[in-house]
Amino acid sequence: MAAIESKTIMRLNGISKTYKASTGLFGDSGQRVIALNDVSLEIGRGEIFGLVGQSGSGKTTMGRLVVKLENPDKGSIRLGDDEVGHLKGAGLKAFRMKVQMIFQDPYQSLNPHLSILDTIAEPLAIHGKGSRRDRRDKVMKSLEVVGMSPGTDYLYRYPHQLSGGQRQRVAIARAMVLKPEFVVADEPASMLDATIAIQLFRLLLDIRERHGVTFLFITHNLAAARYLCDRIAVIHQGEIVETGKTEEIIRAPQHAYTRRLIAAQPKFAYGGAEGKAR
Amino acid sequence: MTLISVENLCVSYQTKKGVLKAVDDISFELEEGRSLGFVGESGCGKTTLGMALMRLLPENGRVTRGRILYGGQDLVQLSDKGIREVRWNEIAMIFQAAMNALNPVHRVDAQLREAIATHEPGISKEALQGRVEALFDLVEMPRERMRAYPHQFSGGMKQRAVIAMALACNPKLVIADEPTTALDVIVQDQILQEIRSIQDRMNISVIFISHDIAVVANVCHDIAVMYAGQIVEFGSREEVFNTPIHPYTRLLLTSYLTLEGDRPAPLEMIGRTPDLIAAPTGCRFYKMCPHASAMCENRAPEYRQATPTHRALCSLTS
Amino acid sequence: MSNLSERVHLFDRLAKGWAIFRENLLGKIGLTLLVLFALMAVASFFTPLFGPMYDPMTGVDPLISHATGPGWRHWLGTDFIGRDIFTQLLEGAKIAFMVGLSAAFISIVLGTIVGMLAGYMGGFVDMLLMRLADMIMVMPSLLILLLLAALFGQLNIWLIVLLIALLRWPGVSRVIRAQTLTLKERPFIEAAKVAGASHIRIIFRHIMPNVLPLSFLYMTFRVTSAILVEAALAFLGFGDPSQVSWGMMLQWVWKTGHMFQAPYWLLPPGICISLITLSFYMLGRAMDEVLDPRLRKEEFSE
Repeated sequence: MAAIESKTIMRLNGISKTYKASTGLFGDSGQRVIALNDVSLEIGRGEIFGLVGQSGSGKTTMGRLVVKLENPDKGSIRLGDDEVGHLKGAGLKAFRMKVQMIFQDPYQSLNPHLSILDTIAEPLAIHGKGSRRDRRDKVMKSLEVVGMSPGTDYLYRYPHQLSGGQRQRVAIARAMVLKPEFVVADEPASMLDATIAIQLFRLLLDIRERHGVTFLFITHNLAAARYLCDRIAVIHQGEIVETGKTEEIIRAPQHAYTRRLIAAQPKFAYGGAEGKAR
Repeated sequence: MTLISVENLCVSYQTKKGVLKAVDDISFELEEGRSLGFVGESGCGKTTLGMALMRLLPENGRVTRGRILYGGQDLVQLSDKGIREVRWNEIAMIFQAAMNALNPVHRVDAQLREAIATHEPGISKEALQGRVEALFDLVEMPRERMRAYPHQFSGGMKQRAVIAMALACNPKLVIADEPTTALDVIVQDQILQEIRSIQDRMNISVIFISHDIAVVANVCHDIAVMYAGQIVEFGSREEVFNTPIHPYTRLLLTSYLTLEGDRPAPLEMIGRTPDLIAAPTGCRFYKMCPHASAMCENRAPEYRQATPTHRALCSLTS
Repeated sequence: MSNLSERVHLFDRLAKGWAIFRENLLGKIGLTLLVLFALMAVASFFTPLFGPMYDPMTGVDPLISHATGPGWRHWLGTDFIGRDIFTQLLEGAKIAFMVGLSAAFISIVLGTIVGMLAGYMGGFVDMLLMRLADMIMVMPSLLILLLLAALFGQLNIWLIVLLIALLRWPGVSRVIRAQTLTLKERPFIEAAKVAGASHIRIIFRHIMPNVLPLSFLYMTFRVTSAILVEAALAFLGFGDPSQVSWGMMLQWVWKTGHMFQAPYWLLPPGICISLITLSFYMLGRAMDEVLDPRLRKEEFSE
């Protein structure tokens, strides 16, 4: 009898995280910054879930906790049915094959000394997957997935020879090469031009369609979240103020902060109504 | 009345690989009290244009052609002394990443005082203090925060301080280069409202430079769309947004994500921005234009006037 | 085919690096001088071919047994017992390179590894390593070497090399540690962590290539200091008596009272020491420009 695949892939429960503020002259000043305060979320398999917040809201911290770059002070994270809070060693390595991350700054997230081939092949090398030839093939396939064809054009180039948009595609290729189940995209397009950004978003949608990857899309741009995400959570000062289907939240925001966010968005519609009245 | 008029301006940079024409044959006029937005993506030359207007180009940049007519003078030909008198007194600038333009070791009011005193040497201490207080009121910053240091301000407050600095000498024209890029959307909205309000109250002209088309739409009467060093479309806000002519403008508008309207289907971009060192002879948008024809590749397009105020750099009809 | 592309690209990068280097005047002068000295060092292997008279240590000219000036038989003259000075100079070049490069290499390897470990691991390890570095750094290396030489009699040249290296690694380790601290926070390091890289992998595959340019730069400084230390030791009479280094030559000039009588003997080794030090320094300055990551401009392909 086949196991019923759970529809929820990630469950966050009561997550709290505090940071020490900058230390005083003689050591710990005792000031603490609450980055996340009792946050709970559920993300469905194959969803693109948006976490929308401004700077200092805790959204980036959330992303880092999910990929286990850091650990929460309180609360639990479940991937599928497994609690991942205390993973170490081999268990942690196995987790890393399933959960990956795309970083915000394409100019800093690639090692300048590694060729594109080495950069994308790195996760394969770390997990000992296949021979050098196998890895090269997988890298080529990954490059094709992100629309950088022919792959041979790019294999031996270095990051500084690529544009910001191309670098971000390489970062996506690197994240995809191990065929993860869950990818955190931390503001992947905030440093790119709008015309490039929208192509990147299309790429993420495409990857979700073809490979069933679940995305946690972290952004400060509500409009980008609307374009990409099935459901969103609005985060403000370390707390989730509203969660739900994207369209519903935007049409009928319940929380005052969400309403402020929507009102502040510069409005115009192509070929239609104007910006705000002067 | 025309405040500033730019004619056939060309700006180039000397690079190791050759001469890079960052701004190629730009012409426009700006009336008193009106605002003009320059929209374009990275590498289009908008920041270079802003710096050229203030004669603040780096070592390897030069205006190679054209005139910048202001107050009956050509700013390009003006002496160093002459341009220093124009700078800040007549034309002020809010730089990109302006928050870093504040000196971290001086209090904010002291920096404002210094800005005013540099350009008005004879001013008395009391008058100086009065001016600083008036500036704080103008940008709606509480007077109690006057003696604070920049790092004690939030991003939005720092931006207001920088705006106050730009307004310190009562300029007639303010050039704002991406003033809200690093700010959260709620703070951005406040700053944009601030800019609009100041503009109305003081009848200042604003040149607003941004990659964000919606931001420009909120603040500016007129829009100039830039691509590869050229103005590819110029018109009033209504004309450019409601009836865009140039394919690049249409691409920009569809790429912009909004909260209303349909989800846009992005156009497939197959080319790359053209090399500005060896610029193509034909239309620079040729490689990425979905409507391009053979004629576009070889012949440089000319401006077509759709209305007396709306023009586009395109060879195609309709 | 893939190997060919790889080789082509590597060559392309080397060619670019060379192009930048070539434009630097200091680098050119430094490199020229160093090539000259290197040729001298290589030539020292061939001098015995000219006859036993030309051995730097034992080659006494049967016809001359005192210091003489330059001439056809002996291009720079002879020393106080009739040995050819030019051959000694060549031998000294060999010693200088040997001592300089080995001592520098060892101290850089040590310093880089310690610096990376301290910077990356932080906490207790960092504190321990840096306190150790501090202790060694404040020790006057020349004095210690002199003391050791006095205690144990004459020191073997390789022991001198090792001791120089052990006393000189702290300087570079501080710099590498600082560099590592900034690199540690960079997103590409975090990306490697998220991919599952072990600490060792991160240190050697991601951090090391980014600090190596700095290491190489410091290596040029270490070479100069190693050469100078060895020369000082030899001059003071505590060097390896079986090795003819420039410092040793100076010792002989001084000890045998020929300081003012035989400029052809005094000047060459002194000038060589100064010049080789200068040329390594100039090389270091030029390499700085080549290896500086700021030079990696945002180039778009096509």
